[in-house]
Amino acid sequence: MADYARVDLDAENQVTFELNGRQVSAPAGTMLVDACYAHGVEVPIFCYEPRIGPPVGACRMCLVEVEGMRGLQTACSTPVRPDMVVRTDSPAAKDGQEGVLEILLMNHPLDCPVCDKGGECPLQDRSFKFGGGKSRFFEGKRHFPKPLELSSRIALDQERCISCFRCVRFSQEVAQDGQLTMQERGVQSQITTFSGDAYEDRFTGNIIDVCPVGALTSIPYRFVARPWDITNTPSVCGLCPVGCNTELTLRDGDVKRVTGRPDPNYEVEEGWLCDVGRWGFDGDGGITRLTRAIVRDANGERHTDLTDAVAAATVALRGASKPVGVLLGATATVEEAAIALELAGGALAGARVARLGIPAAPLAALRATPRAQLDEIERADLVAVVGGDPGLAQPITELRMRKAVLRNGARLVTIGSRPGTLADVATHVHAAPGALTAAVAELAAQIGATGRPVVLWDEAELAAEPAAAEALAEAVSANGATRQIELGADVNGAGLRALGIPATGLLEALEAGELGALLTVRADPRSAPGRVAWEAALEGDVPVVALATHADRTTDAATVVIPVQSLLEQEGTLVSMTGRAQRVRRGAEGPAGAAPGWEVLIALGHHLGAPPAYRTASAALAAAGGRYAGIEGLTYDAMGVGGVELPRPAADHLAADAGPARAAGSDGLALVATRDVYGGREASRAPALAAFHAPAAATVSPATAAALDVTDADTVTLTSPYGAASLPVRIVDGLSDDAVFVTLGTADAAAEALMPPDRGPVRVGVSVEARR
Amino acid sequence: MTADQIREYLEPRRHEFADPRSLVLPALKFAQTGRGYLTREDMEAVAEATGYSASYVESVATFYDRVYTEPVGTRVVSVCVSMSCQLRGADQVWEALCDKEGVDHHHGGTSADGRITVQEAQCLGYCDRAACIQVDAEETQGPHTPDSARALVDELRAAPDPDEYWR
Amino acid sequence: MPLLNSVYRQREAGKPLVTLDDYRAAGGYQALPKVLAEMDPDDLQYEFMRSGLRGRGGAGFPMGKKASFLPKDSQRPKYVVCNADESEPGTFKDREIMEFNPFQLLEGITLAGYAIGAVRGYIYIRGEYEHQARVLDRAVAEARAAGLLGTGLFKSTFDFDITVYRGAGAYICGEETALLESLEGKRGQPRLKPPFPAVAGLYHSPTLINNVETLAALPPIVEKGADWYAGLGTEKSPGTKIFCVSGHVMRPGNYEIVLGETTLRELIFVHAGGLRPGRRVKAVWVGGSSVPPLGEQHLDTPLDYEALAAAGTMLGSGGCIVMDDSGSVVRTTLRLVTFYRHESCGKCSPCREGTSWMEKLLQRIVDGQAGPDDLEMLKALFGRISGRTLCPLAEGAVGPVRTALELFPDDWADALENGVPVPEPMLPVSS
Repeated sequence: MADYARVDLDAENQVTFELNGRQVSAPAGTMLVDACYAHGVEVPIFCYEPRIGPPVGACRMCLVEVEGMRGLQTACSTPVRPDMVVRTDSPAAKDGQEGVLEILLMNHPLDCPVCDKGGECPLQDRSFKFGGGKSRFFEGKRHFPKPLELSSRIALDQERCISCFRCVRFSQEVAQDGQLTMQERGVQSQITTFSGDAYEDRFTGNIIDVCPVGALTSIPYRFVARPWDITNTPSVCGLCPVGCNTELTLRDGDVKRVTGRPDPNYEVEEGWLCDVGRWGFDGDGGITRLTRAIVRDANGERHTDLTDAVAAATVALRGASKPVGVLLGATATVEEAAIALELAGGALAGARVARLGIPAAPLAALRATPRAQLDEIERADLVAVVGGDPGLAQPITELRMRKAVLRNGARLVTIGSRPGTLADVATHVHAAPGALTAAVAELAAQIGATGRPVVLWDEAELAAEPAAAEALAEAVSANGATRQIELGADVNGAGLRALGIPATGLLEALEAGELGALLTVRADPRSAPGRVAWEAALEGDVPVVALATHADRTTDAATVVIPVQSLLEQEGTLVSMTGRAQRVRRGAEGPAGAAPGWEVLIALGHHLGAPPAYRTASAALAAAGGRYAGIEGLTYDAMGVGGVELPRPAADHLAADAGPARAAGSDGLALVATRDVYGGREASRAPALAAFHAPAAATVSPATAAALDVTDADTVTLTSPYGAASLPVRIVDGLSDDAVFVTLGTADAAAEALMPPDRGPVRVGVSVEARR
Repeated sequence: MTADQIREYLEPRRHEFADPRSLVLPALKFAQTGRGYLTREDMEAVAEATGYSASYVESVATFYDRVYTEPVGTRVVSVCVSMSCQLRGADQVWEALCDKEGVDHHHGGTSADGRITVQEAQCLGYCDRAACIQVDAEETQGPHTPDSARALVDELRAAPDPDEYWR
Repeated sequence: MPLLNSVYRQREAGKPLVTLDDYRAAGGYQALPKVLAEMDPDDLQYEFMRSGLRGRGGAGFPMGKKASFLPKDSQRPKYVVCNADESEPGTFKDREIMEFNPFQLLEGITLAGYAIGAVRGYIYIRGEYEHQARVLDRAVAEARAAGLLGTGLFKSTFDFDITVYRGAGAYICGEETALLESLEGKRGQPRLKPPFPAVAGLYHSPTLINNVETLAALPPIVEKGADWYAGLGTEKSPGTKIFCVSGHVMRPGNYEIVLGETTLRELIFVHAGGLRPGRRVKAVWVGGSSVPPLGEQHLDTPLDYEALAAAGTMLGSGGCIVMDDSGSVVRTTLRLVTFYRHESCGKCSPCREGTSWMEKLLQRIVDGQAGPDDLEMLKALFGRISGRTLCPLAEGAVGPVRTALELFPDDWADALENGVPVPEPMLPVSS
């Protein structure tokens, strides 16, 4: 349970004490509630939530008797002491607990039958387990207007609130967004925002998970299901490379809700989710979802069933007189990639397999240095972020860094072209695009001077500056205590690399006319960086077979489109940016006309006459685990519920996977392509995330805007050697001058049009297209 | 009140506190001197001048009885109703003023002309002059009877507006 | 027994001592130079300890002992905080010190600061005392101009300054950890203890918190010696204490007495002028509203910590509220509970919800809408609230009700029968 802190009963410094007549032990400093829970004794709590911060002792629910101490003690704030004698079930302790429950229920409306929390409500459960069973309160209850929309996603019922302070502490101390506070005093206390404004921020949904009553509920989930209607499945979020562990709530074959795991993965998300991870599932449906296969031929376009489509795909691929290209997208699972590789070795012998992503070679040395999981950030005394803006691109890392600063006093340094979302807690060291190397040299000096540094580095920005990546690799290795965490660009980039799949080679072969057909798996090259080159290379008569969940530019033009299940609907393995292999589970049933991607690929193998030896995802993974060193021995059993960390790649891994050397040049402005899961395609498909939807823009510093003579909402045309795009101007303080910031992954794929496929350094010319 | 005005007020006090958060309450009290209560804009100005979120500023403001986040009258008349004053006629003084100003007997309120707010106060520390009345936070007087309290309000209504509101 | 104006030097002087010259002329600022020239901080702390001075805010904890709890080896700056959030109903003694004898408080804070090696003192004064805060502001400015605050006091190496910090209307800020929260710019909600303020108080630094009267008692202790002070009163309750007498008495006001020498009867009938003709004492809340009331049978109790405790109440703040037999304790009890409901900070559920529950029950009793079951419910609630919270506010709300039920059963029986009419108030003595 997330409610109680983990207790290591095998740690040294154990303290032995008596609990309800038993001799038990726990490490010194453990709070009594946690020690009790570790020994199977539940002491009820409401305000205590060790993930949020130290105990506050407000709700008084956890009263227990400690011999020699006057009155009852709150077990949440009493550390274990040697030989203390604790009773949680004595008449006095029970009276204490019963009394607090009676008091808490006094003003609490007993509207459980119409409350979304009913059936999974800690207040309800603990009232049954620890309460007196009846109320003696016959006075009028306190009334507040209800329910209020705290935001477009969260409903607030103040009458149900028991003032446990968890949500406001989350807002103040974990997300540190400053928005949610307790106002008024005494029995009139209520949680609210400034003047009742909407609580709009990036991690707000976590307050629903921590609320121990029905005061905070999810608006999209409101009245959707009762606890007995649903089943819950542990899974992993597939919307960014962090790999947050999630729980899917299922009803009628559909995902109705995504929440943090009740048993968090402390090495990854610690039970928190960003709002996109929580509500983005909503975007899996919608009008762009592919529900039927499409075959396009001389007779035009027809919708068809899966069997027919696989047959058509077989014809298209087998008919090619030249080798086939297989292109894997960032969300292709390890199983899908492994089957594709197997096809390339047999049924499609000679096929060239590649991934959409960043070439691995420039980063190989850095990836080979000692790596950490996210919990290591908490133990660091210096946390450095080199490049990127993790709060937007790998959101949950932000909470860990805030925790390191606020609770553990770590020093946080961000280095790069923009201060980003951590600006209020970090020292920002400005480094213009292309100038990371010098900044890394300065950082190397600081690393040498501290005890436990953790360096988080942005895959895309360091790949664009190989010298900086090399310098950083040296800095990390120089001090034996330093650990590095990759801020990855692609959801399963690490998984695809672990199988040895390069990012380069395929487009070049296509351009050279060496390929006869293209099979894409969850890949949309026509919306990817270098899309102009991809489009050009796909002109002509190269047939394309696309396995995809949603209609996109590639499926719009493909010869055969085979709908596949999303990562909420099928089994699969993703490898996180920290090298954790974790399972996504089948949650929703998905459209009837879609099949798991791995199953479609196996079927293709059968049709092509070289069937793989397995028929399930788990067997496909086990087979791959026996074949590829990067995932050696990996099975579903080995991953369990919390995943398993894969070995770090060697320094010469994928050494040939490099784009062409590019001189950045000095004409025009540097282009910085940023990632923002809140502004990405997946978020834009989810109605629940409407508050985040914003048009793509060309963002510049005020000085740059002045130099260009543009203002907010002017529209400019950006031109690079790789393409052009028109975008409205946005002006933001603190950015590098002489640079234009564009967001990757937006629906219009404007940024991608300006870039080469390997995403290397780009400079753009700017011309004003329209004045406001 | 603007953020700059608040900053100017806080500046000489800043060195007295190891944590700038201590300036939030002085800032709120100062911001209130302008209008006698705080508007949304006032709280935003306090937030800007102190560096804490507006929601935080409001949460502090609403904890304290003498920080007003809703409009109140030109003068705030606090009638002490705690025990010492209760024993010496505070309830009668309270009723008299509520009647005179036409405000709710349970919660008090502001007269229709906006001049006078009548509110209950907890012990004001003038029990030797019970029943006592405080005008804003500056002057506490007593003992009062219903008649003397009514006369006081008449005087206040006729008096010029204060330059600053310390409440 | 006669009054002894030691803290109330202004009364001894016969005029307010609001200028530095007047305070000096009355013997002020003799202690500080003497201490800075002759004593080291530990000696001064020992002097405080020997005087036996107990905290005058309500808890009565020995002041010197409290000072000794501050860690000597801490690298953090240390602070003295003067609790001037005088808000306990029936208490108005500190107001008079600050208004008419402010320099004695400043001198006392400075002495305490020297004893613990503090860098700064804060006077946290309730917002409603704006007038007194301005007196203090002026006194601080004058002391600073005269070199009595600032760097190198009296050519010593001791640097010390004082900040007057205004509250904004919240009784709970009289609780020392809530006060610290408020002084740190937060909502004034009590903290979990430990750590205690002596170890981690203001800004997590070692902090000595004392009431105005306690700190103002220090200059005379230094001037005349700890032996002198310890020789006043009883062994466990040495020194003088100011009692604020209010309610149904002819001469309400502050009276500084020697502890243990004066009985409650003398305080009420000799010093405070007695009651209206024909009236008898019904109930006395002798140490502020948070203490259990006493009845007529307790009038001969000597006023000191131990004797009052033996009588079933506490000396508390010395806010002595006297009620004669003209009314019912049921109505005053409701008023008290309304006060605590209003002032509950809302942090601990038993207090936040429980005071509201008690108020609703009592309101029905006063309105004549209750039966014997409700009285039993009220009693059952005490155990639900008392002893289950972070701070003593809830205890203050429960204690007086519990005792009122025990001591005055007739009033409650009457209330259940007929409700409680609004009594005729005692009219003002004179303006």
